[in-house]
Amino acid sequence: MTTSMTSTESAKTTDDSAPRMPTKAYAPASIRWRTMVTIAWRMMFHSKLKMFGTLIGVVFAVILSNQQAGTFLGLIKKNTMFVEYCGADMWIVSPSTLTLQPTKPMGISSLYTARSTKGVAWAEPLLFAGASIQLPAGGSEPIQFVGTAAPRYAGGPWNVVGGSKASLERPNTMVFEDSERERLGGLNIGSVREVNGFKIQVGAITWGLLPFGPSFAFAEYELARRMLKIDADQTHFVLIGLEPGADPEAVKAAIMARAPEVKVVGRQEFRSLIISFLLKRSPIGITFGSSTVFALIVGFVIVSLSMFSAVVDNIREFGTLKAIGATNGDLARIVVTQSITFALMGSLIGLAVITRLAAVIRSPKLAIQLPPEMLIGTTLVMVGMCVAASSLAVLRLRKVEPGMVFR
Amino acid sequence: MSFVHSASIPVVEAREVVKDYGEGPTTFRALKGVNFHADRGEFVILSGPSGSGKTTLISILGCVLKATSGTVRVLDDVISDVAESELPKLRLAYVGFIFQGHNLIMSMTAQENVAIMLALRGWNATDAAKEAARLLSLVEIGDKLKSLPGDLSGGQRQRVSIARCIAGNPPIVLADEPTASLDAQTGQLVTELLHNLAKKRGHTVVTVTHDNRIFHFADRIVHIEDGQITQEKDSHS
Ligand SMILES: Nc1ncnc2c1ncn2[C@@H]1O[C@H](COP(=O)(O)OP(=O)(O)OP(=O)(O)O)[C@@H](O)[C@H]1O
Ligand SMILES: [Mg+2]
Repeated sequence: MTTSMTSTESAKTTDDSAPRMPTKAYAPASIRWRTMVTIAWRMMFHSKLKMFGTLIGVVFAVILSNQQAGTFLGLIKKNTMFVEYCGADMWIVSPSTLTLQPTKPMGISSLYTARSTKGVAWAEPLLFAGASIQLPAGGSEPIQFVGTAAPRYAGGPWNVVGGSKASLERPNTMVFEDSERERLGGLNIGSVREVNGFKIQVGAITWGLLPFGPSFAFAEYELARRMLKIDADQTHFVLIGLEPGADPEAVKAAIMARAPEVKVVGRQEFRSLIISFLLKRSPIGITFGSSTVFALIVGFVIVSLSMFSAVVDNIREFGTLKAIGATNGDLARIVVTQSITFALMGSLIGLAVITRLAAVIRSPKLAIQLPPEMLIGTTLVMVGMCVAASSLAVLRLRKVEPGMVFR
Repeated sequence: MSFVHSASIPVVEAREVVKDYGEGPTTFRALKGVNFHADRGEFVILSGPSGSGKTTLISILGCVLKATSGTVRVLDDVISDVAESELPKLRLAYVGFIFQGHNLIMSMTAQENVAIMLALRGWNATDAAKEAARLLSLVEIGDKLKSLPGDLSGGQRQRVSIARCIAGNPPIVLADEPTASLDAQTGQLVTELLHNLAKKRGHTVVTVTHDNRIFHFADRIVHIEDGQITQEKDSHS
């Protein structure tokens, strides 16, 4: 054991390490960081209840913002679902088209223009309109009626889980969506219903084709045309498939040159149109945007307040550290370490909860979309938010006088 | 290698030091031209009534506060000329502190509390942990390395804070009422430790105290009243 310093020992005992000429060596940044990170974590985990409170704040912000943003992405997905499922590389639409919604019909000549354009593999007409189905118990329900040309069926149906889409070739046969069967009066394969005044039979069932509005219901093009009372020389949209290696821009220009009365949009372009329509023309963007921001603000305030109160609680310890030689920068390292730790721990817990939750409630009606980019993104936002939230605490620490520890 | 300074050149020296608190009409002059010095290996007790300026004086000697006027020198540094932002570096180079409250970090073990001081002075983690353990044995609580301050008695905590104060071997040790929160017997033991820091290790120890039961340890007792030194006596004469 080393030399003890009490009077029980001889006064002659000297310690091997008497004070030396001080070197003004200052701990390098690496040692300072290490030390401050250790202090930060010890302080944090020492008051567990406080830590728990702050964590709940971060977890809440993570869950709420992901839930809001995820639902928003889910809605976008619902609105662009048709364009994504649809096999078309390009769409011919009327020039005033802003989104995929029922429109006035346009002349069908552009269909033939497209078919005779170099680079086009196929072109099919598509009818897309609102319709209503009579319920057996009386009353009616709206459906999103789709007229899709056999035998390619570029405009659906997709995800057929009962029956087959070839059933559409039978007379007066339609395909409906499984998740809406109850609402449409307990539909099943073989059920007979009246749509737009026509008696039709259910030939097949799809799964998950539930857009933001009423569910999709499909009929073969010719039947649909008669049911919707559209003239043979008219249609709503034209779907185009390109030959492999065809230049989309060239095809587009060639069609528009010969059919100036229509607009040609690529699949991605149409998707973007739909999304920007959704953001600009509907309150969805504002609603979800503001609740996401609200979640972040709540998280910010909670973290801010708890970091500040943690500093105030430990003000004497911070003062002591300052008195024994820690700088303002060192103390800021402590607070920043704590805030980043809160952000990462909170995100980890929050993301675990929200992904579990999203899996449980996932259904065609409500699908929260949680792409990995968003999960990583919110974690980064949380880190930024928590560091920003700690600035109040850092400012308070700058004001700590080392002399306070003598009082 | 020990100090090159001979006993005739004080380790710390204050000349005509004035300290004003506040500004304008509310200015309060806490020190009114104080001359003070302490030598290597000397144990000096600073005493005086409450509010007389004891804490203010050791704060200035310890590079915590800047004097309003006058000269303060520690070894070769004239600290009264140094910018405020440089003071933390000077504290690290020259001074170890012991406070009335032990002022340990409550969430860290005895060993870690001492090691922090070493880390701030540039020691790496492994060496700092070893040296901290050695210093804690030196103050006879080598068996409490892993204890949190909350699990230690007042005397034990003050021992930890003494180990922290000498970690990295600063030439000057400043203590403000180190025995005030201890019972008489523990107070005696802690003062003895401080005395030994001066006598066995050669630190310059300046201790503020009201406690006349420990005056007999001092080489010199400096009495301060109303911001001025009124009496200075060699306690052994
Ligand atoms: N930050 C400050 N601002 C204004 N006045 C101060 C400040 N610190 C100390 N004082 C005043 O300066 C005088 C000296 O204070 P100091 O703390 O040095 O006294 P002390 O001798 O240590 O007293 P005590 O024995 O009570 O600790 C006191 O009157 C005090 O009120
Ligand atoms: Mg005092």
